[in-house]
Amino acid sequence: MRALLPIIRLLLTAAPWAMARGAILSVVVLLMGAALLGLSGWFITATGIAGLAGIGIAFDVFRPSAGVRFLALGRTAARYGERVLTHDATLRALAALRVNLLRRQARLGARDLTNLRSEAVLTRIVSDVDALDGVVLRLLLPGLAAIVTHGLVFLALGWLAGWPIAWAILGGYGPLATLIFWRLARRSIRPSDAVEAQDQKLRRGVIDMIRNRQSLILGATLGKREAALMALNSDARKAARELDLADRNAGAALSVLVAAVTGLALLAGGWLVARGFESPAVGAIGVFVALALAETLLQLRRGFSDYGRMVGAARRIGAQAKPRATISDRPQADLMSSPILAIEKPGLTLKPGDAIALTGPSGSGKTSLLMQIAGLADSDGISILGRAPDHWPEAALREIVAMVPQRSALIAGTIRENLSLAVNAGDDAMWRALNAVALDDVIRQRGGLDARLNEAGAGLSGGQARRLTLARAILKSPRLLLLDEPTEGLDADTANRVLAGIREALPETAILAALHRGADHSVFDMRMSIVL
Amino acid sequence: MSSTKRQESPTASRRANARIIAPVSRPLRVAGALAVVAGLIWPIQAAALAWAISGWVSGDTSRTGAAVLIFVLGGVLRAGLEHWAGGYLFDAADRTITRERAILIGREARARAGASSAEIAALIVQKLPLLQPWITRYYVAMVRVAVLPLVLLALTFWHSWAAGLVLLIAGPLIPVFMALVGMAAEEASRRQMDEIGSMNAMLMDRLSAMLDIRLLGATDRTVADFTDRAETLRIRTMAVLRVAFLSSTVLELFSAIGVAMVAVFVGFTLLGAIQFGSWGTPLGLGEGVFLLLIAPEFFQPFRDLAAAWHDRAAGLSVVTDLDALDAAERVGFLGGADATAPLAGPLALTLAGAVAALAGRNVPLPDLRLCAGEALALSGPSGAGKSTALGAIAGLVPLASGRISVCGQTLDDDTADAWRARIALIPQMPHFPDQTLRDWLDPDERGANPWPALHQAEAEGIVRRLPGGLDTRLGETGGGVSGGEARRLMIARAILSGRELILADEPTADLDPDTAAQVIRALIRLKDDGHSLIVATHDPALVDAMERSIEVLA
Repeated sequence: MRALLPIIRLLLTAAPWAMARGAILSVVVLLMGAALLGLSGWFITATGIAGLAGIGIAFDVFRPSAGVRFLALGRTAARYGERVLTHDATLRALAALRVNLLRRQARLGARDLTNLRSEAVLTRIVSDVDALDGVVLRLLLPGLAAIVTHGLVFLALGWLAGWPIAWAILGGYGPLATLIFWRLARRSIRPSDAVEAQDQKLRRGVIDMIRNRQSLILGATLGKREAALMALNSDARKAARELDLADRNAGAALSVLVAAVTGLALLAGGWLVARGFESPAVGAIGVFVALALAETLLQLRRGFSDYGRMVGAARRIGAQAKPRATISDRPQADLMSSPILAIEKPGLTLKPGDAIALTGPSGSGKTSLLMQIAGLADSDGISILGRAPDHWPEAALREIVAMVPQRSALIAGTIRENLSLAVNAGDDAMWRALNAVALDDVIRQRGGLDARLNEAGAGLSGGQARRLTLARAILKSPRLLLLDEPTEGLDADTANRVLAGIREALPETAILAALHRGADHSVFDMRMSIVL
Repeated sequence: MSSTKRQESPTASRRANARIIAPVSRPLRVAGALAVVAGLIWPIQAAALAWAISGWVSGDTSRTGAAVLIFVLGGVLRAGLEHWAGGYLFDAADRTITRERAILIGREARARAGASSAEIAALIVQKLPLLQPWITRYYVAMVRVAVLPLVLLALTFWHSWAAGLVLLIAGPLIPVFMALVGMAAEEASRRQMDEIGSMNAMLMDRLSAMLDIRLLGATDRTVADFTDRAETLRIRTMAVLRVAFLSSTVLELFSAIGVAMVAVFVGFTLLGAIQFGSWGTPLGLGEGVFLLLIAPEFFQPFRDLAAAWHDRAAGLSVVTDLDALDAAERVGFLGGADATAPLAGPLALTLAGAVAALAGRNVPLPDLRLCAGEALALSGPSGAGKSTALGAIAGLVPLASGRISVCGQTLDDDTADAWRARIALIPQMPHFPDQTLRDWLDPDERGANPWPALHQAEAEGIVRRLPGGLDTRLGETGGGVSGGEARRLMIARAILSGRELILADEPTADLDPDTAAQVIRALIRLKDDGHSLIVATHDPALVDAMERSIEVLA
């Protein structure tokens, strides 16, 4: 329950006014429903008595029958309003939560981002958020509405039809319904969390199987992987079966409860009538109200059988890694005299137009140094325009520094969409950038800027994909460009053309490139070796 | 999937029925029969109540006890029948979901269609369970609607033709209205399903590229794009809900008006203000209460059917997705990826006039011959088709024409598995699945010691440096190790597999000269051990180290 509290707060505060109106309407709907059936029952019984007594003409038929019509129409309209308001408010809050989770993901440090398993994050943002839609819609609102309705109906019945009937209904429904729901929640908490957890494993497994397809085929283990996924499915289905049984048991118990309480109301009514305390018409009201109140309980059933799933999802979302704190957004003087980049160790400064090659064997820390400069890892002794990377506000830092990491990724979509990931650029600028990385001919052959790439940019060779990510960075035209192995996967001629092309396209940009081949290229003013 | 043109027609829904409903028609029929019997109990319960209350008016309160007994027993019986029917329905849905999941899981990795992995996963995990409400609710609602209103109508007519007439007029309007709503509902849920798929695909894609996005300063744009997507999903979901709410509201209105008219009619008759509407004997209080109690139940099956209509609409959209995937053009691989005994005979490979069939284009492959123990380089500019050639040799890419022969036999579905049991492929782009290095290095679970192979691939130090050692889980593209390190780990894995022919796609692409030389030495050592090698590369040092090289031209 504790895990649900922040979610409840989030859902309620996203559109508090709409939610409040929805909550009031949901009580109105239930009350009108109970009043409708009660009034109709009383009306018929009373008219029957009046008819028998021969006072039919004197009986006021218009007010009760107008009341019946008003309640019938009002209830229907109120229900529509309630549903639209509460669902819309909930979906808005959930959409905002999804965006929030993605943003949180983007703010992680270099280590978390490079180790990110997208399938796992995907299930968090999609399935877990989906699981939360019932927290308010199927649990909190109907629960509160049921309690309020039962309370009000109890008072009204006691006043109108006598306390024995009122007690028979409240005393019958209150404790037993609570018991049934408590049991349902307890019984379903494990299987419903299990269904969700297995489904998420299945989702991750399917994505992993498809993305890792080649290696599974080569290893002749695809069949084994498929069997493992089917085993996950059968675990999920077994838990679903258990959940369904708990749910059906609760449903049957509720039906029996409704029948028993209605029977109890009939007994109480009969007793009052036999003793002469109440007229038969008033005595019958309880029966109809007891039947009508069933609705308040039946709509809670689904919420309680989903309880485990909601709690599990809320816990997982709450436990997500917190983003690295940005230390200070305090504006500092942008010292124009400061170099774009200064590193104390190994003693390095870059001015506009400089290009330095960083060399060293694999694993010597070239990538770590670049990540520190880009502000994605804790650093010491690094300053960008006189200020440490983690003292820059995120957006301002990204305006100055762009980096093309070693494991660079493209997105599914057109070449144009890939190039405009960071900035809006015209076609001319795009072609110039593609020309700079010697990719324009290839793209032209593929059908131009609107040619589509598949998932994760599949459809280009390794070297072509590499060059497209470089073109993307050129379009951003940063003041400091960090390149991690920019010529990886390129033949020597192309590598030379690409390095020269980047320099030419960005004459004012300071470039720091980590590479182990081509470091003696003429674009570099200096090469600097890093030793572990 | 979203780009596939969809066709909605009576045949489509008939096909959907044949695919989803027909195989489980037996449990559905049983459940339907049970649900009808459960529904028929209500008139008896209502009669008991009416009998007791009319007794009170005539001064006879002795009936109360018997009426309570009948009412409660009826309620228990009804609950039991519904519980029982629910069991059959769950079974039917369970079987269907498992069957469809088995089809998708067994096909989507084998033969890839255009849909992304996230879309497929969303279909399997998120959308298929939407078949359940359709299966469990729609059919039973249809059966109930065919029987219960008629029975209740007959009972009403028996007591009063006027009350019966009210129901008769209000009732059939509901299906007419529903047919109108149904069309809007189907359209709305199809759009919602599409959006679920594309939001998943978009999110998956952006998450995979998250590091790039951050470093490029594209976070805000990406978040804004995703906000649009999440907003669109909300709007489309609300559109589905609005139709559902509106239709249930209208049905509720019909039912409320119907019930209110019956109530008013009964009231006026009891008062004596209305003299018509019944058969000779005037309506008594007992009959009046009875009519009032069964009137809402007359409408209930219609309302259930309307609710189930939306479940059906959602189910049909899922089936449309399934059908679209069934019909999608696929690129499969040769063989079945089953563990088989390696192909017999000395290792030999010939490519003659082979043309690889990729999605939408054909790539001509170079002619070549390779015998056991040889080392061959495929060189050529980026994008010339070197990787495709390796894929075709591994039986991962089918041929449009020409022939590849392996160990003297044609490489086809029958020989591919046995052929692959003799080869290992080191891909250019590393993908690390979500498992520990130890398990990843040893996919056959032979329990071999990985250290000698790691040593041979110069990858020992990498594993030692990782905080978790062999129990480390790397990021999906090898995050946690550098590009060169990822490559050396893949070489170690190929060595550990013990396969004779090793295909390597740019094995030195991102290694510094020293390490590249070490890797080349490791590859030569493999050759000296009797392995055969084919490398796709444009690294002159690697080309020189191989015995022969073949130029691949675009």
